[in-house]
Amino acid sequence: MSAQLVLSNVVSRPMRSLATALAVGVEVALILLLVGLSTGMIRENSRRMAGVGADIVLQPPNSSLVLAASTGAMSVKIADLVSRIEGVKAVAPVYLQFNTSGGMGLVWGIDQESFNRITQGFIYREGTGFQGPDDVIIDDIYADGRELRLGDDLKLMNHSFRVAGIVEHGKGSRVFIPLDTMQRLVGTPGQATMMMIKCDSQSDIAGIQSELGRRLKSYPTFDMSSFAAHIEEANRDFGPLKYFTNTVVFIATLIGFFIIFLSMYTAITERTHEIGILKSLGAPQGYISLLFLKEALVLGGLGFVLGLGLTFGGRFFFQLLMPTLQHKLPPEWLLYTGLLALFSAGLGALYPALRAARQDPIEALAYE
Amino acid sequence: MKTILESIELTKIFKTGKIEVAAVRDVSLKVREGEFIAIMGPSGCGKSTLLHLLGGLATPTSGRVLVDGEEISSGKDAIRTDIRRRKIGFVFQRFNLLPTLSAQGNLEIAQEIHRNGSRDPQHVDEILNLLGLEKKTHHKPSELSGGEQQRLAIARAVINRPAILLADEPTGNLDTRNSMVVLKMIQELNRALSQTILMITHNPEAAGIASRLIEMRDGRIVSQQQEGEWNATEDRMSL
Ligand SMILES: Nc1ncnc2c1ncn2[C@@H]1O[C@H](COP(=O)(O)OP(=O)(O)OP(=O)(O)O)[C@@H](O)[C@H]1O
Ligand SMILES: [Mg+2]
Repeated sequence: MSAQLVLSNVVSRPMRSLATALAVGVEVALILLLVGLSTGMIRENSRRMAGVGADIVLQPPNSSLVLAASTGAMSVKIADLVSRIEGVKAVAPVYLQFNTSGGMGLVWGIDQESFNRITQGFIYREGTGFQGPDDVIIDDIYADGRELRLGDDLKLMNHSFRVAGIVEHGKGSRVFIPLDTMQRLVGTPGQATMMMIKCDSQSDIAGIQSELGRRLKSYPTFDMSSFAAHIEEANRDFGPLKYFTNTVVFIATLIGFFIIFLSMYTAITERTHEIGILKSLGAPQGYISLLFLKEALVLGGLGFVLGLGLTFGGRFFFQLLMPTLQHKLPPEWLLYTGLLALFSAGLGALYPALRAARQDPIEALAYE
Repeated sequence: MKTILESIELTKIFKTGKIEVAAVRDVSLKVREGEFIAIMGPSGCGKSTLLHLLGGLATPTSGRVLVDGEEISSGKDAIRTDIRRRKIGFVFQRFNLLPTLSAQGNLEIAQEIHRNGSRDPQHVDEILNLLGLEKKTHHKPSELSGGEQQRLAIARAVINRPAILLADEPTGNLDTRNSMVVLKMIQELNRALSQTILMITHNPEAAGIASRLIEMRDGRIVSQQQEGEWNATEDRMSL
């Protein structure tokens, strides 16, 4: 019965209820879109990383697994040293650089010959490999997203490149330039940020890793089969991203809290007379508080559902605008945002609910 | 007959700024089980205030109120609310129905509050039938006439069989015809179900159906008459 009263109160002011729920929905969608985008990006990156086909990755000392934020570098000569280890089939030095001109993303500087030995070569949709120092190879998704065609001009790191080849996606990066050019542009001749290593046999991997550990002590190595997991974990724990996510979650929750607070505060004023009626019937304070808390939870729940709608709508919209953008919703975040929506609703309703319960019955009954 | 409601030297003083108004002064009153009392008096003489004190909606400045042996005049809101929930039914001049609930919903919520959650749909149906409101079960108060709303409000007040029904000008907002219907219903409750009733009214005819008449002036009870002792008896309504 009180359930009926709660629902009838929600329905009796449809615009107010909808607007309140929508605000909670925005709270939910904001969080889910952000988390989904960062997770999608990380997953996508690690999947492409695995797609390179290397067995071991060697990084310079003090490097980060958050590749975009890694600043360490090492000499490409290390490649010679590594290739002499028993069981190593091929080594490819790669220079990763975060590019911000004309869209953001990692650009890989590769030595095409060694890189091909690791990947077994690109699958070309159109065009060829590098013909000159200012050539760029892009993957099909990047090409579609920016409507780039063979021979087109592409500006990266304040330098003009010519699209020489469009390849199938999935091998490391979406954008490749010659290693020499990269080193020249960044000002780090003879340097690489990681080595991709391919072994003769899977059974050699552990042995080669320990050999690398002996010869290049402070250089971390990763087994590629676990690299994806490592990279995801590293990104999740990556300070700035975590800080940013937490801030957005906090602000979104705060918005939900204030909207519910305002909405419920207005509601108890509007329903002062009804509170008086309930009191005259002998409804205890807890009953009246609970009535308003339940209403807020209904609005919060409704908001969560609307938020899911907004999230999927927003996701669809994003993908129309930026097809390269990946959005992946970790299921646990559905639970988190659901709880957050209810939490902010309950917290926002707390003071109004307690205030409602403490009304003086005579004054409330006299309220017009 | 057992005393169901008793006030002992009840006084209520309102303070607004420096001005003190003694709305109820030193009122001692005993209501026996099954009695039907009408309270009359000029506007502002303290009738409503007395009713609020008797029903535990307000606390007295001094004096006590006992409902069925329990003290309802204590300061604690929770205690007053609890006794009100178990023992008292209110009817007001403004019908005071919950506007978002149907007729049925208004009765059910009173049941739910009274029984801490449970309800009895069958009893609700019975009462709605008795009132001739069975076709309006799902109507909101705004879709009922004034007379129908007040009948519903009375039904809600007695649905949990309270020890006493406190009514504050129940016909004050009704036309003559609807007043008659409502008064008849109140009288019926008293006669058939022995419902104890205390009713404030400005209408001598309404007072005529009561078994005792109390007159108030300036916060005091100035006279009490048993049935057959007052003038209105002659033109008592044949309800
Ligand atoms: N909350 C209040 N604060 C101050 N004075 C009050 C308050 N409530 C009532 N009074 C005063 O107490 C006196 C009695 O009021 P009450 O409402 O009990 O009168 P009443 O007999 O019911 O009048 P009516 O027939 O007009 O309903 C009045 O003088 C009124 O102004
Ligand atoms: Mg009055």
